Amino acid sequence: MQNAQLIGLSAQVALGRELEVIANNVANASTTGFKARSTRFQEYLMPKASAETFQRPDRRLSYVIDAGTALDMSQGSIESTGNPLNVAIRGDAFFAVQTPQGERYTRNGAFELDAGGRLVTSDGYPVLGQGGPIQINDRETGATIGADGTLSTNLGNRDKVRLVTFADPQGLTHAGANLYASTGPAVPAGPQARVEPGALERSNVRPVLAMSRLMEVNRTYAMIAEAVSRLDTLHGTALQRLADVGTA
Amino acid sequence: MRALYAAATGMAAQELNVQVISNNIANLRTTGYKRQQAHFQDLLYQNLRRAGSATSDQNNMLPAGLSLGSGVKTTSTARVMSQGTLSSTEKTYDVAIRGEGFFQVTLPDGRTAYTRDGSFDLDPQGQIVTRDGYLLNPAIAVPNNATGVTISASGTVQATVPGQTAPQQIGQLQIARFVNKVGLESAGDNLFTETLASGPPVVGNPNTDGFGSLQQSYLEEANVNAVTEISSLIAAQRAYEMNSKVVTAADQMLSTTSQMFRG
Repeated sequence: MQNAQLIGLSAQVALGRELEVIANNVANASTTGFKARSTRFQEYLMPKASAETFQRPDRRLSYVIDAGTALDMSQGSIESTGNPLNVAIRGDAFFAVQTPQGERYTRNGAFELDAGGRLVTSDGYPVLGQGGPIQINDRETGATIGADGTLSTNLGNRDKVRLVTFADPQGLTHAGANLYASTGPAVPAGPQARVEPGALERSNVRPVLAMSRLMEVNRTYAMIAEAVSRLDTLHGTALQRLADVGTA
Repeated sequence: MRALYAAATGMAAQELNVQVISNNIANLRTTGYKRQQAHFQDLLYQNLRRAGSATSDQNNMLPAGLSLGSGVKTTSTARVMSQGTLSSTEKTYDVAIRGEGFFQVTLPDGRTAYTRDGSFDLDPQGQIVTRDGYLLNPAIAVPNNATGVTISASGTVQATVPGQTAPQQIGQLQIARFVNKVGLESAGDNLFTETLASGPPVVGNPNTDGFGSLQQSYLEEANVNAVTEISSLIAAQRAYEMNSKVVTAADQMLSTTSQMFRG
């Protein structure tokens, strides 16, 4: 008889998870190159209860589970910063970054030069060009990344930042710190992806959408709580009546 | 409820963002000030279902995983080292750098600090000093009978002394540049100090070899753009508000849970 409560609970657990996803999106509303996640729910059909003595067969119980959190790979707004080492990607591509754990990918183009003259991310991981990390020497000044992704200085052009893409972007996992790890191989991005110099890609979290979904989650959660609570009252009343019948 | 903590990290990040923006606005008229920009990163994710894991033995797999993030952190408040506008002051010892480089200043404890603020004056010994009285490095002394002091684009300091028709060279200003100037540490008083991240200074004469040129009687204004700062301030404030809404929602959901069974 607790099935209704369990179904309610499954919905509440799923909604609780969705709230966490929304909270993470909103918290990263200012994170450069952040891609929002959305929750996908699935119906989970409980195997039939095996009472076959009734006239009509039992219906299967339908629970909710949160099946996945899909990455929303839509373009974030591009904000001009005027910093010559900032680049934003327009289109479907990632920068490749060399980390101690292996190659990682990011849409965050807030690059700097480190003390050794390497182009690095804000965590100090080298940004990969066509031939490994991009390096300038200490004789060179005025480092700028151009519209084709090439780092140039007063002494000429250096390497070009590598743009990669994936057959299945949903297969990317967040590695934290604006980085993604991929299980599939990275392939060079096509000409439809290009870089925007002197700009950064903002988070693609849509505040209005996040806030309205937040309200919806909150209300749905309360509604389910109310339903479960009423069911509980119903059970209580039923038991009381039955008890009354017994004593009468 | 993790949502509470994720939203709290969001609020903390936006608070810091507002702090950085307000410092930029406060230094709108500071000579040689370089604006800061807060950079954020997402925190670790908990993978409840990993993308690509098998859903059957027929080679089916999950197209998208289920991963829950835990909020945001601030990585850096890097300075944007772009050129500020030069404004004319008509003062002899005001110098601005156009392009790469920092003036070198000797601190009282002997260390060298770096600055883009070229509002210099003379001390009682005739030496060129900063507004705080710190000596310029290399030190340049102006004879007390000298007139018509000029500082050329390449840093040559010349003056006319009585009894001489041609102006005499009395010193050579040198500036320093860094591979990673963003890595310099701010020491306050418009000064920067060298760090491991900035790399060692490369010292040279202005207007040569990638160094910027000097402009006498000009000062470099802060590179803060009021409009940009105000719009970032509004965005930060709204983001803060949204995060607080998430906290409220999470709180309401918790309260709903605790009130489910009142009987």
